[in-house]
Amino acid sequence: MNTASQEEFIHKIKIALGKPLAESQRNVDFFKSDMSDETRGILERIKNRTPEERKKLLATLIEAAGPINLKVISCEDINSVTAAIADLVRDKDPEWGAKKSVVAWQHPLIENLNLPEALSPQDVTVFFTDVKETESGNLRQHVIDSYIGITAADFCMADSATMVMRTRPGQARSVSLVPSIHVAVIELNQIIADLKELYALLKWDPQESKEGLTNCMTFISGPSKTADIEATMVHGAHGPRQVHVYVITS
Amino acid sequence: MAKITTENYVAEAKKAIKNQVLQEALADLQHRFGRGTAECYRQLPEGPDLRLRAHDIRMKDIENLDVVLETLVANIRKNGGHVYFAEDGQAAVNYCLEVAHKHKVRRVVKGKSMVSEEIGLNDALVEAGIDVSETDLGEYIIQLAGETPSHIIAPAIHKTRSEIGSLFADKLDIPYDDDPSRLTWAARKALREKFLAADMGTSGCNIACAETGHITTLSNEGNIRMSTTMPRIHVAFMGMERVAARLEDHDILLRLLCRGAAAQNMATYVSYIGGPRSAGEVDGPQEFHLVVLDNGRSRILADEEFREMLCCIRCAACLNVCPVYAKIGGHSYGYAYSGPVGAVVTPLLVGINRAADLCQGETLCGACQDICPVNIDIPRMLLALRTKLAEGDSAWGVTPADRKEKLLFQAWSWMIRNRRLYDAAVKLAATGQRLFAQKDDMIGRLPPPVHGWTKGRDIKPLAAESFISRWKKSL
Amino acid sequence: MSSQKKVTLFIQCLVDTIYPEVAEAMVQVFRRLGISLTCPTDQTCCGQPAFNSGYRRQAQVAAKHFIEVFEDSELIVCPSGSCVNMVRHHYAELFRNNPQWLQRAQDLAGRTYEFSEYLVDVLGVDDLGARFDGKVTYHDSCHLLRGIGVQKQPRKLLHHISGTDFIEMHNSDYCCGFGGAFSVKYPDISNAMVTDKVKNIIDTGADAVVACDMGCLMNIQGKLSRMGSDIKVMHLAQILAS
Repeated sequence: MNTASQEEFIHKIKIALGKPLAESQRNVDFFKSDMSDETRGILERIKNRTPEERKKLLATLIEAAGPINLKVISCEDINSVTAAIADLVRDKDPEWGAKKSVVAWQHPLIENLNLPEALSPQDVTVFFTDVKETESGNLRQHVIDSYIGITAADFCMADSATMVMRTRPGQARSVSLVPSIHVAVIELNQIIADLKELYALLKWDPQESKEGLTNCMTFISGPSKTADIEATMVHGAHGPRQVHVYVITS
Repeated sequence: MAKITTENYVAEAKKAIKNQVLQEALADLQHRFGRGTAECYRQLPEGPDLRLRAHDIRMKDIENLDVVLETLVANIRKNGGHVYFAEDGQAAVNYCLEVAHKHKVRRVVKGKSMVSEEIGLNDALVEAGIDVSETDLGEYIIQLAGETPSHIIAPAIHKTRSEIGSLFADKLDIPYDDDPSRLTWAARKALREKFLAADMGTSGCNIACAETGHITTLSNEGNIRMSTTMPRIHVAFMGMERVAARLEDHDILLRLLCRGAAAQNMATYVSYIGGPRSAGEVDGPQEFHLVVLDNGRSRILADEEFREMLCCIRCAACLNVCPVYAKIGGHSYGYAYSGPVGAVVTPLLVGINRAADLCQGETLCGACQDICPVNIDIPRMLLALRTKLAEGDSAWGVTPADRKEKLLFQAWSWMIRNRRLYDAAVKLAATGQRLFAQKDDMIGRLPPPVHGWTKGRDIKPLAAESFISRWKKSL
Repeated sequence: MSSQKKVTLFIQCLVDTIYPEVAEAMVQVFRRLGISLTCPTDQTCCGQPAFNSGYRRQAQVAAKHFIEVFEDSELIVCPSGSCVNMVRHHYAELFRNNPQWLQRAQDLAGRTYEFSEYLVDVLGVDDLGARFDGKVTYHDSCHLLRGIGVQKQPRKLLHHISGTDFIEMHNSDYCCGFGGAFSVKYPDISNAMVTDKVKNIIDTGADAVVACDMGCLMNIQGKLSRMGSDIKVMHLAQILAS
């Protein structure tokens, strides 16, 4: 077996680059940079964004969501989101089995929806992906069995209609992936303009950079899709066939 | 190792040209993605010149690859991931097999990755008795059919819906259907079972970010997310050059990658993976392994003439505008990488003589460079490869490809510096051409070595008198 | 259009030996504009065929000869975008390890223009008073378009020809499949490409297809002839001279 240790491997690269081997220290500066004026401007812009500007971003988001079949619904308050989700649960049928169940993140915004109560008249169980479920060993199966997965998001980038989610205890990655329908609930102030703003926040904002990207950050821009058979667009290749984003505007 | 059939370029091209279904599919693909990508660049806030900045970013990453890579792997290890450096494809495959063996892996799901095609991962896993499923729909179709991908992004572009319908009826034991939606959902169902049962998932890496310590994977289907979320082990393969130093650089590269690959602002799914699931997290793989692959790349890195090729982020935009690819499809290129990128990368990886037709079988039209999200000068490198073939090159182990041609050009170079010799040669040719059948002032048949021209075309004969001669006389 | 520099004609080898009428048309256009001309009769070929096939030493021989022949010229004009691209861009590559010749090549490159580029960008001419009755379409030659960035100039000139109905073809910027030695080494691929090109030309219903490079036009003409089509193949200079 032709293995190479890291040292040998990097050594080979240095030789290929024609670098004197002692010189690698010189490049340590490569990563060191101070916050640029541009980044400072971006962070200021995000911080000082007015409600009107946020509404404008929402409009951009809705416009970008159209072509990628992402449904963005703005709701006045959290109660109307709960009602909308209850309607969705009533209207949609499970893809894989007969029984309707819903799986949701352990997250303040999601817990405030009071879904177990709202869905109990329909006899639909809501599972939360909390540590207790994990310990019981049932979490994976609940995610697989549920036809709707409900999550929050850290940010939503308006220009590409992209939700950004970082992984945390209680907030299973599979909730936005395995169920047939993905529902995300966000607040208006979570909408940012674009990737540049996101990266500026993650790298330079004192609060956000502390957590960083986590070990798994996911972008989701609409439902799963493929065009691998005669270039015909089909939604629901492996991931959710539908994605609904509720934006709380109050 | 993956099969290499670069010698069949001409024969495969001929087959592809005759395949009407493929011709239509390729034309459609280019019409939608080629034009769409150019339009996407125009709509960038920074404009299409962002490609030039991206080129500089990539070159800087490549020229500091040692530091950038060491930073990446240090961060990944800090996050609890394992990193393995593989000098060649065999080492990469063996490492994956070792991990599989250690964890008693029986089923593997593969997220779409070109580098795994390059190293022949599938066959190696199958040989080891492991059940492997390709999970990208196109790759899955190709796997069921026992074929190889014909496009980097759209691997099954050469197959019709009815072929896929018959294939699924046969392999998935379902009634024949040729509706793309229902076929997709049949695959969705079959693959869902695979995802949920798999012990190990594999992926490639589109573009890693060193300073944060993450690989990034992109897909529209969600197959890569499934492969890297549901199984207990995730092994990622990354060509050693596929890394950006900082987030600011990653921003530009990621946006251009999405536009180049599928003319979209953002792939449906982008995952940043930095390690296994952390303490307290409820799902995600328990182990994360990154395999960093050389497999001939350090040799490319060492040659300043070709170093630029390592800027490539494998978006396949060049395939979508290349007029040669449009006619011959991906299989003609005989290796994992097709189109203009393949025409440069494949000779450098598998041997320049062996892939001589890939270096010479293009028109140097330049469409590939114009659409490249990182503005790689592919025509320049094709010309450099041809020079190696013409003159031989010991560093790359190239022998002159065609000694007769070389003699011809040597003679030509004598003639070209002397107008009288030149005139005499033209006159000789003009006399010779009278021997060949003419119709309406056109020649319908030429002798070797230029007989290829008249296979499908006529040619105008040499004029009775050259312009220079006319100028001398009267003008 | 006063105090014009004397134009030195750089005649592409294909034009010189197969299509002398194209060079004559160019001469006619220039004379109509009152431009004084000269034409070095020692010129042969810029070296592109050897360069594109990888024979750089041989290409250098041609390039040196070219430079010696044209070095004293004030301004050089060529009826081929491909040849201009060779002189403007590839000579630098050819002499990258030869500073002396590199300098000479670069000086020359700065004074070398393609025909339509010279008319529109240097002289500021777009109406030559030409007349052509019929439908015309235009093929963008690769090196002209992507190599030296000439796209609008020929169209501008064509739009001012009276009696002409200009129609853009589908994929006018797609390569015709010529590619020099490529067309002989890979005839099946080349033929498939020119078949597409010719189909797009025929689909416009044009009476004539115009381009600024006889390499492409020789290929297109060869295919049209084989198919028995009577669509005329014209260099821009020819239609402007008519």
